[in-house]
Amino acid sequence: MTLFHFGNCFALAYFPYFITYKCSGLSEYNAFWRCVQAGATYLFVQLCKMLFLATFFPTWEGGAGVYDFVGEFMKSTVDMADLLGLHLVMSRNAGKGEYKIMVAAMGWATAELVMSRCLPLWVGARGIEFDWKYIQMSFDSNISLVHYIAMAAVVWMFTRYDLPKSFRLPVTVLLALCVYKAFLMELFVNIFLLGSWTVLLVKAVLTGAISLCSLFLFVTLVHSN
Amino acid sequence: MFEEASEVFDNMFKSSFPLTFIVFIPAVLILVSPLPADAAHEFTVYRMQQYDLQGQPYGTRNAILNTEARTVEAEVLSRRCVIMRLADFSYEEYQKALRQSAGAVVIILPKNMSAMPQDIVQQFMELEPEMLATETVVPVYFAMEDDELLSIYTQTLTSSSSQGSLSAAEVLLHTATANGFQMVTSGAQSKAISDWAITSLEGRLAGVGGEDLPTIVVVAHYDSFGVAPVCSPLSVGFGYSLSLTRCLFRKSTGSVHNAYKRGCQRASSPDVKFSMVHKKINLADDMLAWEHERFGIRRLPAFTLSHLASHRLAQRASIMDARSVSPSSRHGAGEPPAGPHVDVQKLSRNTKLVAEALARVIYNLTEKGAPGDLQIFTEQMVQDEQLSAVVDWLTAQPRAAQLVDKDSSVVSTLEYHMGHYLKDVKRHYVRADKRDPEFVFYDQLKQTMNAYRVKPAIFDLLLAVCISGYLGVMYLAIQNFGLLYSVARRVTQPKVKSH
Repeated sequence: MTLFHFGNCFALAYFPYFITYKCSGLSEYNAFWRCVQAGATYLFVQLCKMLFLATFFPTWEGGAGVYDFVGEFMKSTVDMADLLGLHLVMSRNAGKGEYKIMVAAMGWATAELVMSRCLPLWVGARGIEFDWKYIQMSFDSNISLVHYIAMAAVVWMFTRYDLPKSFRLPVTVLLALCVYKAFLMELFVNIFLLGSWTVLLVKAVLTGAISLCSLFLFVTLVHSN
Repeated sequence: MFEEASEVFDNMFKSSFPLTFIVFIPAVLILVSPLPADAAHEFTVYRMQQYDLQGQPYGTRNAILNTEARTVEAEVLSRRCVIMRLADFSYEEYQKALRQSAGAVVIILPKNMSAMPQDIVQQFMELEPEMLATETVVPVYFAMEDDELLSIYTQTLTSSSSQGSLSAAEVLLHTATANGFQMVTSGAQSKAISDWAITSLEGRLAGVGGEDLPTIVVVAHYDSFGVAPVCSPLSVGFGYSLSLTRCLFRKSTGSVHNAYKRGCQRASSPDVKFSMVHKKINLADDMLAWEHERFGIRRLPAFTLSHLASHRLAQRASIMDARSVSPSSRHGAGEPPAGPHVDVQKLSRNTKLVAEALARVIYNLTEKGAPGDLQIFTEQMVQDEQLSAVVDWLTAQPRAAQLVDKDSSVVSTLEYHMGHYLKDVKRHYVRADKRDPEFVFYDQLKQTMNAYRVKPAIFDLLLAVCISGYLGVMYLAIQNFGLLYSVARRVTQPKVKSH
């Protein structure tokens, strides 16, 4: 399509990040440099994950069209490294809980946006061929922003020393959900043979549910003591 | 945010040169990267003929195409690529498209030509010379139908038609949902091939008498000529002459003689009718009607063997002339042509007949005294399998004059075959005059065309409006996140108390 189309997709992908950054008050904390650091940590963690995957998970050699459940499950287990990375970012920042969570999540999600979406958008949405997938990709990046904020919040709660015993289980479940969300989505797609728009919808709903749950837990935890 | 960003970048670039390098080189690479081409569909297209004969241009004059596809039903065709199917092809619509200054014409040929209704094939065959004769500025391409192409055609058809009496909102919705296709050819502009050599092969079969004997020349030419050279696949003349060569080789001991029709008459069996058609040579024409006229001009007695009664019949130069062996195809040596197909059995019979006639001429058996049922070639002279293999091989490749290079496999294989049966096999090259060329051929006859799915500009505008609406909602939602937060707090507070 045209540069205009790329502009559309880019606006759809990027502006929610910008709005979130502005409205969440991060700009008042002068948090830009910290977000960049979080992004750098994201890069480092992804590099480690890639090295690990390439070393220990040889390419799946089963027949095409056959879904390798165990292999995919193991691979998404490696995404645990994201949790570690988020924790690392948050532990290096001093401040209130919300501030730490937002900085880590914003940096993380923005780094992901830049690294894994900008290039496909630039190359794909500007090409002659029209495809809905670039619009979908942009929506997907909005979803992943929410996802990372929820994930950072859950990690923050999990690493608190004063976490009540009754919170331990739901937080762990949410953590597991965050990590295995991509795997679950792939499973859905494989079992129910979903179309790309339905996948996006299911992803949005799932992410929304996870983030609502973590919001409630967070609110409870913050205001209980 | 941006001030902070610029500060950060400033520090970054000042502090370390390698970092600058790492950031800038990919950025530059990305900015200058060419637009990628992963097409929705990629297919091979065959361009219409383009040649000049005695300075007179024929066929299409262009090869480059980058326009949106339409069918003839659309109201505006100017600078659009008009797609037509052979089944709905009509010369009026073709002319209409060209008059409306269409950007290009793509004609989709069916996969199975013999399944087409005969009248459509016949009609198209008659149109071919007309299409060639009119000089066309825009490129005209032919493509073979497949499922993808058919679906592109139907989608284009739906988007091209039904835009007349709709309301603005409907049209808007229509443009948003319908798919357009951008047709792009990957090749370069067509240009004249300089110094092109047309190769002729010559071989001799000498009789015992030596030099003073008369000569019979058996000639066949690259007789595939259609509106699109790469897709005009058939020639029977080659098959004839190859087999003839083989037959004569087996019996070549006698003299050589002028060819006359009596031999043929004598050899003809009751089921094959044979007749002579006299035609005056029209010297004013750019092209000679029949091949033998070239000899006729030099006052050598000559004739062309053909199953067509007149040189004007469209079958002589058609891309519809596809090979398919069907038992029902009915054309024989003298019968009126029924369908453009090759029946190997008939071909073999005719070859045998021609060989027999030729042999009678050679051995002076054409007089009344010779027995009528004399068979000169008593053995199995024409082998069906071999003939069929030769025809198969020949029809598998285009042999239009602008495609048969002097290194092409057609020439070398033929040369090999002729060398097997004949002596002194030589090549002759015909080149056009450098300053005042009699003929000029052009390249880019076969190209790859891409069909990209595209949306109109209005769609982008619509999308921009929708996206800004969505972003506005997002902005409000994030601004008022506090509401959700307080709701969550209110909901969770009793819970906390109950702990």
